[in-house]
Amino acid sequence: MSDFVLVAKTSEIPDPGQLLVEVGERLVVLIHAAGHWYALDDICTHDGGPLSEGPLDAQSGTIVCPRHGAKFDIRTGAALTMPATKPTMAHEVKIDGDQIFVRLRDG
Amino acid sequence: MSTAIASTGFSQEAFDVFLAARDEPAWLVDMRRAAWRRFQELPMPSVRDEEWMRTDIRLFKFDRFGLPDLSSPASSHYVGSPLLSAGVNLGGHAVTLDGQTIAAELSTKWTEQGVVYGSLDALVKEYGERLRPYFERRVVDPFKDKFSALHAATWCGGTLLYVPKKVRVDEPLHALSALSSSGVDLGKTLVILDEGAEATMLSETASTSADGGGLHCGSIELIVEQGARLRYVNLQNWGHEVWHFAHQKAHVGREGRLQWTIGALGSRLAKVNQHVALTGPDAEVQVNGVMFTEGRQHLSYNTHQHHEAPYCKSDLLYKAALQDRSRTVWRGMIKVDRDAQRTDAYQRNDNLMLSRDARADSIPGLEIEADDVRCTHGSTSGRVDDQQLFYAMTRGYTRREAVRMIVAGFFQQVFDRITIESVRDALGEAIGRRVSDIKEFATP
Repeated sequence: MSDFVLVAKTSEIPDPGQLLVEVGERLVVLIHAAGHWYALDDICTHDGGPLSEGPLDAQSGTIVCPRHGAKFDIRTGAALTMPATKPTMAHEVKIDGDQIFVRLRDG
Repeated sequence: MSTAIASTGFSQEAFDVFLAARDEPAWLVDMRRAAWRRFQELPMPSVRDEEWMRTDIRLFKFDRFGLPDLSSPASSHYVGSPLLSAGVNLGGHAVTLDGQTIAAELSTKWTEQGVVYGSLDALVKEYGERLRPYFERRVVDPFKDKFSALHAATWCGGTLLYVPKKVRVDEPLHALSALSSSGVDLGKTLVILDEGAEATMLSETASTSADGGGLHCGSIELIVEQGARLRYVNLQNWGHEVWHFAHQKAHVGREGRLQWTIGALGSRLAKVNQHVALTGPDAEVQVNGVMFTEGRQHLSYNTHQHHEAPYCKSDLLYKAALQDRSRTVWRGMIKVDRDAQRTDAYQRNDNLMLSRDARADSIPGLEIEADDVRCTHGSTSGRVDDQQLFYAMTRGYTRREAVRMIVAGFFQQVFDRITIESVRDALGEAIGRRVSDIKEFATP
């Protein structure tokens, strides 16, 4: 399993809010919602759309692909609505002081 | 082993130094400056652009690469084993490393007949005025996008093949472009077959290190004049960390014949625009594509068959096998102009999915303005058939052997169209080597 990588500071992302970050050779959308932090691959599994550019709903815990409206669970990456049928990858997030770390899941 | 990089990034200062070191004809310098201005004006392609929406290059950074330092010669020769030329009696060969020519040779048998082959860098200085009309045709549009503009401004090295009228070169010409780790290749290939000429060119790429990164931003321009016949093979076999951006286009004139075969095996991400324009009546083009991807490779090919004249025929077949989490994107377009009556055009893309996590996007398209044509297209995507596997195993094959056999059979259709034995062997062997690593099908 890979190590935690420093990606941003907590002050950079309001609640609710999201930020596109590079972790190694992956693009990850870092999400701040209802006091919690999440990290997903910035890829809609339907058509490769950039989730970081889609609307975030902190109350329901979902993010929507801006291309065709596929909705994903920000905690697990699960695809909740069509046209996406496969989950996007969710990564581990750790907060240390004001620093945000992400550890990529393999795969 | 590597060529020095002048500076980080493609800056104005680096471009000025690059131009000053080249000593080229004024018309070419003007072309480069115009393209450079366009490169600076154009934005990076975005996933919002239709053409790029399935090819995400947000991780690509221009400032990690730079222009080669032409003041220092290529520091070493490339020691590698070309795949396409094995066992072939060549009429000539050329080798570049990071875009700088390190070897170029043409048999006197052909030089005596007026054939010109070798480094485009050197030959454009020697034959500037003769080559100028071909450059001014702008076969590849230098202003198409940021990468074509960068290439038009900064191309270096590269290969030129010119075959005079009615000369038939019956020995293949071979070109190898090698890339060192983190190197940059801005090579341009220009092939000109004058009226009634014939030739075969085998072109391939390789990295000195399988894991080394790098950037290729290149072009291929094929000019097949009236009644000429060209067989052109292009094997892209970079290391798996190389970014590959290419614009490739052929002009085929009246009664010209072109067989264009591409093999796409390497690179981390490839974005290729491959166009053929049938510009004179009765021209015929056959395009063959073989792709094999693994790991997280992403290969994206936009093909375009443009029928500008009547009574022409084009036939395109791309076949791809994908394993692991790799991805291919094929967007094909047949465009028939109003005057191109009696066009016969076909395009087909087949994808064999060797993994549940691989993905192939196949998007054929037709745009037809003439009213007396035959234009058809097809696309298939599927997994290895369990029944075929079962049958082969009942005949004594292991599961892995059965999968390899099925993959070989999948590609046979396109191999049957490739008339050059060394090319069939090279592609078959390269693919066979990769298939042997398939894990998913190794156990029931």
